[in-house]
Amino acid sequence: MNRKSLRQKLFVAALVVPAFVVLFGVVVYPFFYNLVISFSNMSLRHIRDWKLIGLGQYIRVFTEPSQPNFYTVFVKTVIWTVVNIFFHVVIGVFLALVLNQKEIRGKAVFRAVLVLPWAVPQLIVALTWRGMFNYEYGAINLILTQWFGLPGVQWLKQPLEAFCAVIITNVWLGFPFMMVIALGALQSIPRELYEAADMDGASWHHKLRHITVPLIRPVMVPAITLGTIWTFNNLNIVWLVSNAGEPSDQTHLLVSFVYKAAFNFYRYGYGAALSIVIFFILLAFSLTFMRQSKAAENVYG
Amino acid sequence: MTPAGPPVSPGAQAPRPGSLALARLLPALLVASALLLAGCAHRAGETVRITIWHQDRIDIRVVLEKQIGRFMALHPGVKVEQLFKETEELRSGFIIAALAGQGPDIVYGPSDQVGPFETMQIILPLEGIFDSAWCASYDPLAMTWYKGHLYQVADKLGNHLTLVYNRKLVPVPPATDEEMITIGKRLTAPAGAGNGARYGLAWNYTEPFFFIPFLTGFGGWIMDGEGRPSLDTRATVDALRFIKDLRDVHRIIPNEADYEIADILFKDGNAGMIINGDWSWAGYRNAGLDIGVAPLPKIASTGLWCGTMVSPKGFSINANVTEEKKKLVIELIRYLMSEENQMESTRELYTMPTHMRVRGSEFVRNNEILRNSQIQIDHGRAMPVSPDLRAIWDAMRPSYQAVLAGTKTAEQAAHDMQELALQRIAEMNE
Amino acid sequence: MGEPRRTRNVRSALRVLASYAVLGIFSLIALFPVLQIVTISLRPADRLLSTSLEVIPKNASLANYLALFTERPFFLWLANSTFVALVVTTTGVVLASTCGYAFSRFSFAGKKIGLLGLLVTQMFPATMLLLPMYIMLVMLHLINTYMGIVIMYSATALPFCIWQMKGYYDTIPASLEEAGRIDGCNQFQAFFRIILPLAAPALVITALFSFMTAWTEYVVAAQILQDTDMWTLPLGLKSFESNMGSEWGLYGAASVIVTIPVVVLFLSLSRWLVSGLTLGSVKG
Repeated sequence: MNRKSLRQKLFVAALVVPAFVVLFGVVVYPFFYNLVISFSNMSLRHIRDWKLIGLGQYIRVFTEPSQPNFYTVFVKTVIWTVVNIFFHVVIGVFLALVLNQKEIRGKAVFRAVLVLPWAVPQLIVALTWRGMFNYEYGAINLILTQWFGLPGVQWLKQPLEAFCAVIITNVWLGFPFMMVIALGALQSIPRELYEAADMDGASWHHKLRHITVPLIRPVMVPAITLGTIWTFNNLNIVWLVSNAGEPSDQTHLLVSFVYKAAFNFYRYGYGAALSIVIFFILLAFSLTFMRQSKAAENVYG
Repeated sequence: MTPAGPPVSPGAQAPRPGSLALARLLPALLVASALLLAGCAHRAGETVRITIWHQDRIDIRVVLEKQIGRFMALHPGVKVEQLFKETEELRSGFIIAALAGQGPDIVYGPSDQVGPFETMQIILPLEGIFDSAWCASYDPLAMTWYKGHLYQVADKLGNHLTLVYNRKLVPVPPATDEEMITIGKRLTAPAGAGNGARYGLAWNYTEPFFFIPFLTGFGGWIMDGEGRPSLDTRATVDALRFIKDLRDVHRIIPNEADYEIADILFKDGNAGMIINGDWSWAGYRNAGLDIGVAPLPKIASTGLWCGTMVSPKGFSINANVTEEKKKLVIELIRYLMSEENQMESTRELYTMPTHMRVRGSEFVRNNEILRNSQIQIDHGRAMPVSPDLRAIWDAMRPSYQAVLAGTKTAEQAAHDMQELALQRIAEMNE
Repeated sequence: MGEPRRTRNVRSALRVLASYAVLGIFSLIALFPVLQIVTISLRPADRLLSTSLEVIPKNASLANYLALFTERPFFLWLANSTFVALVVTTTGVVLASTCGYAFSRFSFAGKKIGLLGLLVTQMFPATMLLLPMYIMLVMLHLINTYMGIVIMYSATALPFCIWQMKGYYDTIPASLEEAGRIDGCNQFQAFFRIILPLAAPALVITALFSFMTAWTEYVVAAQILQDTDMWTLPLGLKSFESNMGSEWGLYGAASVIVTIPVVVLFLSLSRWLVSGLTLGSVKG
């Protein structure tokens, strides 16, 4: 019996270890490469003959005068992330709860439609949204003016409105993912718990707070943590909907700077330093969040 | 109390050996099959493979494929492959690949690629390869020299903006800006039943590249003779004001127009004129419009023509190319640059050839579109090759858009553009 | 005792009605932009946008769909993508279900670090990974191989899937396996026969996520697959795109077609999004 369980353990190890080796192998080399060049002057003029220059790039990241500056963009990125994740999770969980009720017919149809924002190729849908935000011809303003009698909003020409436009687009794109996760998570809750609560006369928000939320947490927490990390670094949507930062380079995330530095100006050392900074910001967040949500613990003890 | 046991079927208590063995083998099978199929995807063989990376749109790709096909027929044992990458990706993809010691043998694109490629030393100097006699049969603009060396030989000249007009709405194109405004005012109409507002002129005016024609029309340019930015000038201010007035005073351009909006307005007949480049003409004809192509107008107050940036599109050779392939690569370039092939491209694509005999041919001289295209090219200026150009575009954008948004005066914007350009160039070159 | 039955029924009916309303509204919101893409695919002359709100445009035609298959190697891209996606999905499900289980049930040295490490792999902005990744791929001779793509995609999708499966396993009491062991199963059989079926919803998520990663990923594919015969769908779609003057008709048609397998997969996997077997029987 002992030899058998050792064999089982080795078998599991045989599956786990290669996966992890590949996982880390794929990420470790690029990470250390970037770590090294973040201390160097690798750029257009020093693309092959770069030298280590100490903390120069990091100093530039924090103090270089740019319009907008590092701190503004950092705050913007945090707001972007928080607002997005908030709506993704709230809408996703809400829809999952509604969809999960046994009285709902035609679940398949609703599921198919509600998963579409996730399923559709991002480029064309992001550009479609951009088109919808056009002041004169866009669907959003047409609906606002013709159905609601409200004045049209200058979505893409004012910084605040542009920021809202990219957030709206990303919320639309992101809620199906959380909805699918929540749908899965809800399956792990035994029905007896709800029935017992019903017999005790519990209200819906009592059930929500004391049964649903704690029990979907182990599955939602990975999604929320990773979702936060992905959203923080999600350049695509902001870039496409705002047409690379319009108006006037105001609609940017921290990663936009990395992209511009690397792709437009060939400032690889600077880009690496900023990436490392972003990395540590996200690391700090994850550690705090994981500790807070006690994600490593079991639910049933 | 003994637990009731998990509710599984009794049969599962004695698992069937076969299924478990399969389950154990499955991961190994997967990896093996992936390896096998991945191995099959490797190309072995003795044929010489030459790769060209480019950013050509589909109709050019089709013609290129034909020409490559003929080259391969002439050279058995050689396989030429073309790979399309979008412009920005072509540049960054080539840089990444070349720095890693790889990449295509030939990279084909606009001349501004040469700047960064040369600085990173990833393309070969060509003056030793293509002698001056050969070069003399081509338009001098086709040969891109930078820092004393020839780095790109081009078979097409273009990328220039032109005035494209809908003949139904605009029978005669304007020759001056004042005429353009008059025509624009006549055409502009508010939204009616079933269609949006109509404008006399629509174009991607928020993008600096599309601003250049008016900058030159007012006598300015983005760089001075030494390649330093020269944005803080009277001409810049006048051009900025001019465009703002088109929208706010004369009201002949839409409130908000990026490339796609302008395109759709023109295609739907909701804009009488559009400023767009040679890449767009075929698309408008396919949309069923009866279009004309005219040179951009002259600015009446200065007497200068609106000139755009003209860029040759040509071939550069990867510095990593092996000696054995080099001869074939050079032959391929010569072949694609040859008179017959340029003639074919010109006929099918309406691109401007660089071979002087093709330029002087009946077809080119008699074709109205090509004639006007030539005039526009003559009014234009060569696109700078220096990598600093990127910094200048990036610096122009925010201030330019601020003027349009009304948050900056034109003078302030010109000043800020210049400052930012200098700053970005300094950052890029540290 | 609760409310009288009639009130309960009325409230229940109202709740169901409200639910349908909510689902309807969100469905419309989800559908509207997607319908525009269908419109783009039906519109002639590559118009991305439109000045009218109509869904079926003037002169609508299926020419783009036809051209997709006759003038472009769309079938090839479909086949390539299907192959890559299936391999990635299978490896993803196999590896995530086992790794997640290990993290959930066993305690071993470096467990917490391992979990954190999974997160860490996702934190680095992708832009700066391109150059070293390319160098690495060249060194390992993985350029232009499907092996390279499969490895990269698995590495991208696995962290989330492993963590997610672990989270799901955590909600399944260990007592179930113990009961199974007492009845004669060994650890592996307990895992395979008892726990795994209960974790079916998490497997659905893993499968879907892995599939989506492989089906829609562009950047890594563009770096690795330089042979047009090996192109996956995202690369093919990108070839319709141009800085100025994209072939929107084809892009729209391709987007519609590309979306369908994802929805079909989700619907067929949804069968397993059902509540696990009851746990009440285990409680003393």
